[in-house]
Amino acid sequence: MFDWLANPNRFNKITEKIQPYILLIAITTLISGLYFGLFDSPKDYQQGDAVRIMYVHVPSAWLASFLYFSLAISCVFYLVWKHPLADLVSSSIAPIGALFSALTLVTGSLWGKPMWGTWWVWDARLTSMLVLFFFYLGYILLSNAFERKIDGSKTASVLAIVGLINLPIVKFSVDWWHTLHQPASIIKIGGPSIDDKMLLPLMLMIFALSFFSLYMIILNVKTKLIEKKCEALLLKSNLEEISKIG
Amino acid sequence: MSVKSSFIQIFISHIKREFLINFRSLVDVISIISFMILIVILFILGIGPFEEKLRLISNAIFWIGLILAIIPSLEKTLQRDYDNGWLDQTITSPTPMELVLLSKSLAYWLIIIIPLLISLPLFIVLLNINLKLIPWLLVSILVGGLSISLIGIIGSALTLGAKRGNILLPILIIPLIIPILIFGVGISEAVIINESPLGNLFLLIGFTLIYLVISPFISAFLIRIAISR
Repeated sequence: MFDWLANPNRFNKITEKIQPYILLIAITTLISGLYFGLFDSPKDYQQGDAVRIMYVHVPSAWLASFLYFSLAISCVFYLVWKHPLADLVSSSIAPIGALFSALTLVTGSLWGKPMWGTWWVWDARLTSMLVLFFFYLGYILLSNAFERKIDGSKTASVLAIVGLINLPIVKFSVDWWHTLHQPASIIKIGGPSIDDKMLLPLMLMIFALSFFSLYMIILNVKTKLIEKKCEALLLKSNLEEISKIG
Repeated sequence: MSVKSSFIQIFISHIKREFLINFRSLVDVISIISFMILIVILFILGIGPFEEKLRLISNAIFWIGLILAIIPSLEKTLQRDYDNGWLDQTITSPTPMELVLLSKSLAYWLIIIIPLLISLPLFIVLLNINLKLIPWLLVSILVGGLSISLIGIIGSALTLGAKRGNILLPILIIPLIIPILIFGVGISEAVIINESPLGNLFLLIGFTLIYLVISPFISAFLIRIAISR
């Protein structure tokens, strides 16, 4: 399916063209989203100005889950079709996804202070986001735990796929645990009706952060490609030197 | 000999081998029981000797103790065989690796279940667990222990040959085990408030069945990666 992108040269050529546009879209949507979110959207009738945290919190939560999904999918591509580029993609996604889940936790905690009175509540959503963060952490740690890079990539890819099977179960069991222990009293984002004026900046911010992470992923992959090229060149020159001595 | 009966023979011989290795020295059995008792002691010292507090969280302590006590012994399940070359030998034999791993995880299940069942009366006394919980506790330990051993085999295969694998293993395993804890405690809580625990039990069984299907294949795949090094 992505065969045409699997060639590193073609990947470089294509991304060279589209990268500026991605950055442009990310910046414009970010600025307009922040403007609408911070200045031109109504206050919540209960939460006041604190509701504006939502414009960072919800998009990063959404992206943290979506990026894990794409991480696992590219791991499948790596293991099944053995595209080396797929591994570079998944290892570039992992830190960005971990960052977004950490951002979700931090903004959730900042939002929790004025709303719930404490920095942290063991709410079902926050808890499953914390678990997601540990899946990212496990992936990153495992992919760096081996002598050879390729062993780490393969093993961590398997972990990511197991996580893809296990995460929905964790999510539902945590939701269910929550409803069992205490009645649902936590705010419902998006609820039955959300004001159009709030929906607009929310969508803009989701676009902004998605395009921003796409830009960062492409940048990461390119850096890793250059690193690989450098390693190959170093190896080659070392070999030449050895053959000269020999 | 038919293919089927030879498969069963292989199965039984592998389980026998695991048993011999693990029960010849009783270190594993004793360490699981004593580790669990120590975790209980830590909890009790942490919360104080208050009857009402203990009653609220005794089920949680039991399940957390069970999970934490099993994790340290998980790493050895494959690492020993990897180090002494048994896995290399097995992978070249015509026996499918998946079958070997399935028998290995079933054997490991029995190995962790037996000390837990032996020490169950002790924990019922120590934690003041309600007596009407006993049949449900037995069933949930049996099912939950199977899924812990299946996930544990995956975790053990993931960290084969990794640097500091013994530290990495709990970080990888605990997020995968969370549903077992939730369903296991859910069964006990439902019994205590006189509701049907069957919903939780079925979820636990379903979770175990998923891993019963995927665990041998995933760990065999991981072992092939580890062997090819």
